[in-house]
Amino acid sequence: MDTSIRASGPVRQVMLRRGRDLIPGAAMARGPVETRAVDSVALLARDYPGLTLDPQVTVGERVVAGQAICRDRHHAEIVLTSPVAGTVAHVLRGRRRRLETLVISVEEDGAAQPALTFDHGSAASEAQALRDLLLQSGAWAGFRARPFGRVPDPQARPAAILVSATETSPWGADPVAVLAGQLDRFQRGLAALPRLTGGPVYLCQPPAADFADPAPGLVVVEVSGPHPSGQPGPQIHHLHPATPEHPVWQIGYQEVLAIGHLLETGRVSGQRMVSLSGPDLAEPRLVRAPLGAELADLTRGLREDGDPRPLSGSILDGRDQDYLGRHDLQVTLPGPATKGAPLPPLWQRLLARLPRPAPGSAALLPMETFESVFPFDILPVPLMRALAVGDVESAERLGCLELLEEDMALLSWHCVSGSDYGALLRRMLDRLAEEAGT
Amino acid sequence: MSLSDTPLPRISRPWDAHRVTLALCLALVLPLLAAGLSRGAALLPPLLLALALTLAWQAVFARLRQRAMSWDGIESALVFALLVPAGVPLWQQGLALSFGLVMGALIFGARGRGFLSPAVVGLSFLLITFPGIGPLDLGGPVALAALPAGAGLIWLGLLSWRVVAGFGLGAALLALLLAGPAALAQGLTSPALMLGLVFLIGDPVAGASTRLGRWTYGLLGGALAALFALSAEATLGTMPLQAMVSAALLASIFAPLLDQLAIWQNLRHRNRRHKHG
Repeated sequence: MDTSIRASGPVRQVMLRRGRDLIPGAAMARGPVETRAVDSVALLARDYPGLTLDPQVTVGERVVAGQAICRDRHHAEIVLTSPVAGTVAHVLRGRRRRLETLVISVEEDGAAQPALTFDHGSAASEAQALRDLLLQSGAWAGFRARPFGRVPDPQARPAAILVSATETSPWGADPVAVLAGQLDRFQRGLAALPRLTGGPVYLCQPPAADFADPAPGLVVVEVSGPHPSGQPGPQIHHLHPATPEHPVWQIGYQEVLAIGHLLETGRVSGQRMVSLSGPDLAEPRLVRAPLGAELADLTRGLREDGDPRPLSGSILDGRDQDYLGRHDLQVTLPGPATKGAPLPPLWQRLLARLPRPAPGSAALLPMETFESVFPFDILPVPLMRALAVGDVESAERLGCLELLEEDMALLSWHCVSGSDYGALLRRMLDRLAEEAGT
Repeated sequence: MSLSDTPLPRISRPWDAHRVTLALCLALVLPLLAAGLSRGAALLPPLLLALALTLAWQAVFARLRQRAMSWDGIESALVFALLVPAGVPLWQQGLALSFGLVMGALIFGARGRGFLSPAVVGLSFLLITFPGIGPLDLGGPVALAALPAGAGLIWLGLLSWRVVAGFGLGAALLALLLAGPAALAQGLTSPALMLGLVFLIGDPVAGASTRLGRWTYGLLGGALAALFALSAEATLGTMPLQAMVSAALLASIFAPLLDQLAIWQNLRHRNRRHKHG
């Protein structure tokens, strides 16, 4: 098997051999931390698949940080809150009047505005009070449940929770640098998680990091290997496979940090530390930015008018959108010509002269590489075929319920056909979730 | 306000259909040169006919389907022209290649949408329909030229080393069992065996698409090739073209089943993990 899991002392070690670092030697963003002024932030409904959101505010209304700005139509307990103080500038609705985008213009001295304070006294001891606090403050939406990748049901108890404090995307933000000086806050948030589940909480950290000590209910795992070993997908797959009967929740380390902040102060932390990087930037920068920050503001002065638009996410699976996605800890400025590095230069120069075929004109070509970049015990080519033809039964049987869009990025990158298997998987998961009635 | 989506990664992809075709054609350069040395100008008419026919058929189907023209048939045409023995009338070659291209790939849509290699289908048609076709008249140098081509394709990931290893194992085991070590001799210098392995059995479109499937597909192809060769009273060194083409055809037909076995094995494995997980 291409994975070795061994327990050495109390910290477990997982080494994933399959995968590929597309830009070998790409540095991580380690600071110093810059703060960039942002004029507007947005809440994007596409970051919360499965929720049907209704706005709780109207255009022109002033909001403070922590105020509920929208609510799920089916689970009224699930709300999303404003990360900043400002004024609601835009409300964009989509199909069946559900909210798609809600834009807030940030007040200039927003940091000085009073933020909403939640009653956090009893959350430290009572499980239900903790749930209520997370739900009221919007921190609940930081969890994603596998299968399906949705915000979990308010009353659900997962089989396990996995905190991913690892980063393997090129030029990603280094969790060690982000958590430096805030470890007690992070550990406070981490210590609360076991009360949400009957099973273990896994903390995945880079080798040699020391984010927390193993404790009852907390399993600390050192994960190493090429990308995507730093993503929660392969980690959950190897530590605690998710099934419909035994769902596993995943949460990012900065969300846990925000929960720690909430439990300490009673206020939401709408700030994240993201990496601002790109092939043309000499060095990735570590930037403090509010959730949903407008990318144009974040990258002001770093790009010229003709340059490609910044991506929310990594160069591999980042999306071209106007605002930072909820789960993205990276903004990439794609240069005019970003090259992967799997082939030698002569070969590449030769190939660069060829015209590109029309996307979708070719079929999948089953190459060996698919297995070697896919660190799951799931057969990639049969799964890609099932996704491409929309064969729900086969896809489910082959294990698509363990996966989310981001896990398919390397397969899409390597496939001759140019298909976006992440988008195909999302469609498939939404269909399966509908059938399962969640 | 726009929230446009660009699904494709912004990092350049290593492969697309044109690049695959180009890589396969480059791999064919050395064997073609070696064949040119042994056959001389006699190689040219079949080669030109095959190329012209392929482009014509692809243009026809591109027009019928209103799709962009694809070029992947060029590789099939080159392989076909390389493996047809000298002396076969051109009209027979053209008919066989047309059958292979249309029934092997084009009616399914494009390369990769069918399950057979067009060159294998064309060669099978030729050998079945027109009996009495002589042995492949290429020498050892052509077989040796397939070595660097195969190595390059393995390095690029277009040829599976598992298929090659499985084939070698299957052929050697069967030859040893049925005829003893003598039958193994000089397998590496048999042009039908080497070219057939790299360009017919090794065609990723026709083969299995899982790791276990590739092993069993290679084993099956090798065992069948050795069996057919030995039953024609030949050895691996004098592998008849007929044996190789039939082995490639049968192995391709069984490839989806072999993949299915790999899928069942994976399911059993994963179910066990879920129970204990």
